[in-house]
Amino acid sequence: MEFLIILLVVVLGAAIGVWLYIAKQGDAHFTFLVDQRTDFTLTAITTDTATFSTTVPFVNNGTQDGTLMDVFPRHFLPYEQFDAVDTDSRLTLDTANRSDGYWEAYIVPVSTGGSIILTVKFTAKSGDIKTALKDMVDMPIDIIYQVVARSLWYLAKERLIMTADEIHKVLAAGEKAVARSEEQI
Amino acid sequence: MTEQALELKPVPTRILTDKDNIVDVIESYAKADIGPNDVVSVAESVVAITQGRFVRPEEIQPSFNARILCRFIPKEGSLASAYGMQTAMNAEGTWRVTWALFVGMLGKLIGRRGLFYELAGEQAALIDDVTGTMPPFDKCLVFGPADPNGVAEAIKQRLGCYGAVVADVNDLKRAAVLGATQGLVPKEVAQILINNPFGNASQKTPIVIIKNYGLAAQKATAQ
Repeated sequence: MEFLIILLVVVLGAAIGVWLYIAKQGDAHFTFLVDQRTDFTLTAITTDTATFSTTVPFVNNGTQDGTLMDVFPRHFLPYEQFDAVDTDSRLTLDTANRSDGYWEAYIVPVSTGGSIILTVKFTAKSGDIKTALKDMVDMPIDIIYQVVARSLWYLAKERLIMTADEIHKVLAAGEKAVARSEEQI
Repeated sequence: MTEQALELKPVPTRILTDKDNIVDVIESYAKADIGPNDVVSVAESVVAITQGRFVRPEEIQPSFNARILCRFIPKEGSLASAYGMQTAMNAEGTWRVTWALFVGMLGKLIGRRGLFYELAGEQAALIDDVTGTMPPFDKCLVFGPADPNGVAEAIKQRLGCYGAVVADVNDLKRAAVLGATQGLVPKEVAQILINNPFGNASQKTPIVIIKNYGLAAQKATAQ
């Protein structure tokens, strides 16, 4: 009986020791700092399309290295709310600078981070893009990311808002820049 | 072996998948460059991919055991995630991997490192975690190849070359030959490949022809 009690105490002690070890070890924890994103800028414009981009930083502020297996944007612009444009959004790691929308799985060491470049392209369903975007509404965009680290994989998301005001200001600034360059010519 | 006579010729290919047969691929991309004195080497992860030996983490249900044991692998290791550990357990057996980890930890206490990978089985050392291979397989765990000796023999038979090897080489000056045709000395070939002529994944050169290996071997024998 005494032996069984000692064995039980040893097993229990080992289990608590392993649990404490794992608790202390922790795991990766990612945050996309959407409130620290840069202002959207106009990166390309044609008669019927306008492309905007912003840079969003992210950090692994956990206690372990982690892998961003996949990261992708999800924009919310239902036709019931605004039906003048088709919208395409994609993102890339800034250092990878891919244009195919593919996210290459990326190890982020603990206490480090990086940035993504989010690109949003509007295509007018008819006519001129500036006219089409005249009554544009605020558009939420979720940054959705899949994490694989010590624990089981999971999906998480952070939301940013691309405001109509921002779009109008950037378009106006773009027009002024074009006008200035035409004057210089 | 007089390495001065040797020439390493990387062969670029498209991205290979499980729809490809590695021997057909080598014939298609490199046949014209391969002579009777050459040794054909092929990257082990690409052989494994053509054999369909990869799995997505989403397709794995890690056991409680795997979730605990992965915590005792250093963070850089491919088995440091529950998915890597479960994949090793699926390949080599749960109890073998568990036992190897236990003995490995005891080994570390007395200053004997690397026991875990010696005891856990070949696949435990060969599994590449996610990010270990190039897109679109960057989101998969890739096993080591099956029957690497058979693959090497099949390459030699089809291409009529001096020999063939399936090699595991990286930029950290680590090279190992996992499978080779009869008559080749694996350690010797590994040494020739030590500077990783396969390049990094984005260079897409999974085949390297070691030109004139047969001539060099004959010369070395004569000397």
